[in-house]
Amino acid sequence: MKQQEAVKGLTTTIEIQNEITQFLYKEAHLLDSRNYRGWLDLLAEDIVYQMPARITNEGKHDTPNIDYKSRFFEETKQSLVTRVKRLDTTSSAWAEISGPRQRHFISNVFIESGKMNDGNEEYFVRSNFLFKRNRGSSLTSEELFGAREDVIRKENGEWKVASRIIYPDQAVLGTINLSMFL
Amino acid sequence: MEKYSGITKETLLNLKEKLKDGVLPQWVLADRDMYDLEINQIFGRTWQFLAHESEFKEPGSYVTRWIANDPILLTKTKSGEIKAFLNSCAHRGTLLCTADSGNQKSFTCPFHGWTYNNEGDLVGIAVGNKVYGEEMNKEDWNLRPVPNVDSYQGMIFGNLDPNAESLSDYLGNMKWYLDMMLGRSDGGMEVQGSPQRYVVEANWKVTAENFESDPYHVQFTHKSSKEIGLAPNDPFFPGHGHQVVLDNGHGINLVQFDDTGVSPIPYQGMPDSMWPMFQKNLNKAQNDMVKDTFFVGGVYPNLGFLQFSLPLLDSDNGLYNFLNFRVWRPIAPDKVEVWSWHMIDREAPPEYKEKSYVTFLGTFGPSGLLEQDDAEIWSRVTQASNGIMAQDKDLSYNSFLNYLMGMDRVQPNEDFPGPGVAYPLCFLDTLSRSMHKRWIDLLLNETAVKEEVL
Repeated sequence: MKQQEAVKGLTTTIEIQNEITQFLYKEAHLLDSRNYRGWLDLLAEDIVYQMPARITNEGKHDTPNIDYKSRFFEETKQSLVTRVKRLDTTSSAWAEISGPRQRHFISNVFIESGKMNDGNEEYFVRSNFLFKRNRGSSLTSEELFGAREDVIRKENGEWKVASRIIYPDQAVLGTINLSMFL
Repeated sequence: MEKYSGITKETLLNLKEKLKDGVLPQWVLADRDMYDLEINQIFGRTWQFLAHESEFKEPGSYVTRWIANDPILLTKTKSGEIKAFLNSCAHRGTLLCTADSGNQKSFTCPFHGWTYNNEGDLVGIAVGNKVYGEEMNKEDWNLRPVPNVDSYQGMIFGNLDPNAESLSDYLGNMKWYLDMMLGRSDGGMEVQGSPQRYVVEANWKVTAENFESDPYHVQFTHKSSKEIGLAPNDPFFPGHGHQVVLDNGHGINLVQFDDTGVSPIPYQGMPDSMWPMFQKNLNKAQNDMVKDTFFVGGVYPNLGFLQFSLPLLDSDNGLYNFLNFRVWRPIAPDKVEVWSWHMIDREAPPEYKEKSYVTFLGTFGPSGLLEQDDAEIWSRVTQASNGIMAQDKDLSYNSFLNYLMGMDRVQPNEDFPGPGVAYPLCFLDTLSRSMHKRWIDLLLNETAVKEEVL
């Protein structure tokens, strides 16, 4: 890493805010429409994709309540490719046959900081998610919600997700599985 | 028991007769009266897994759990003893501790401020002397202890029945296999973080049976995972091996990767530096099983386990071993809360532990590629079990589920070196029939029988 670049924070312009927000909406659209190959193209090759568990701790209202030892996802690009491959190349991934209707509602996009990393612009971006899905003729819909912390990187002129940590707000997950991507 | 809200003794005796024919009526998967009866007769009387000792790091550590609808608080006292109480204030019944885990010397109820130490003793009553006087004996108002608490190989169980048989007797010949799974290393096993928790739309009997006694489902439910190379892509996998029927409805499947009887990855792929330790801690028969087979089974009624070796989703190299224990906590006839713990040998190298955990995440738990499909299938059983035809209690009608696989066809292996009755095949309903026989005997309040040929 070039030291002089690393220490120099990047200014978040309204253009950057707009580009990154549009990027996250595009990502949500690819997921909602089950274009998982297209989605994988938005992920950096060295992506870190994690989902630790939420727990309930005793203490004041602002007591930390994430158990980083207990997780639901600890993924690399290749492991995400494997997950997509199961859906795309087999005809027996029952959890997603046929694919439930799903929506990713992404909001509260907030760029906290930006810096140069190894010659690339990187922005630390917070967002909230509400994931809803419905399958078959079910009268009820499942939901998951929480926050995401992303590092969004500009590589060769294209935005990529370089890192994502998903923090669910439910200590007991409200979906029968995590066959979706968040 | 004469009658229990719609279910009579005659109903149960009829069920028992049907079970002898290898069938289970579908209505028992979705009936509210049956569910209520099960909560009292089964969950109120059997030993229920509560926690692993490695969840308690030091004195003051506590966790909260549930036995069906009973909230339980487990604490580690100053002397290192683990105690279990009803997590409910003895004053007016409030849920005392709302946290999942933590470390505290005492617990104060937010309602009127009564305080208990982690021995369960009432140690503080807000403005006590002024309002209750000296005549109230504080010792009469301690936290209510779970009637029976005991542990085996680090696994802590509780039983709500004051007259329960001992944990040792309850586990019976299952202990030999727990020794094999949990006692192979000098330091025993340890959990990784808090248990995963999620809710599936299923009856507890369906999920319990799925783990304990149904390797047959793997060949089709998990076909996609086999096709992408997560497990041997042989239509008969995991049929090779032994299904072992144990005391009191417990059981285990000793699964082989193929029909050679020799595992391609000795000792379940654990680092070879640990093999001498396993050999030291296991007897010959246990050693041979750990060396050449993988385990999936259950402690009746609702503790499932899996000790398997699978690949990481991002690598073709190596299979990593993990031990997964899970409680199927019934919360409604059609809802189970899954509590799932990853365990690995405390003595394993730290890098191996992390790979073991990530392998577990990729295959089991709600994000695991195998379990994702399980949850979907379980919910489909629920969706099809609520109607008039499925709920038909007239047992002359053909509303039965089929448990006939291997019945009267597969004979026990008389030379099997471990305890229990072992059949030389894992695609078999013998263990399921044993589980459901135990189920009906508990409902009928009949004395448990030792394992037998079914």
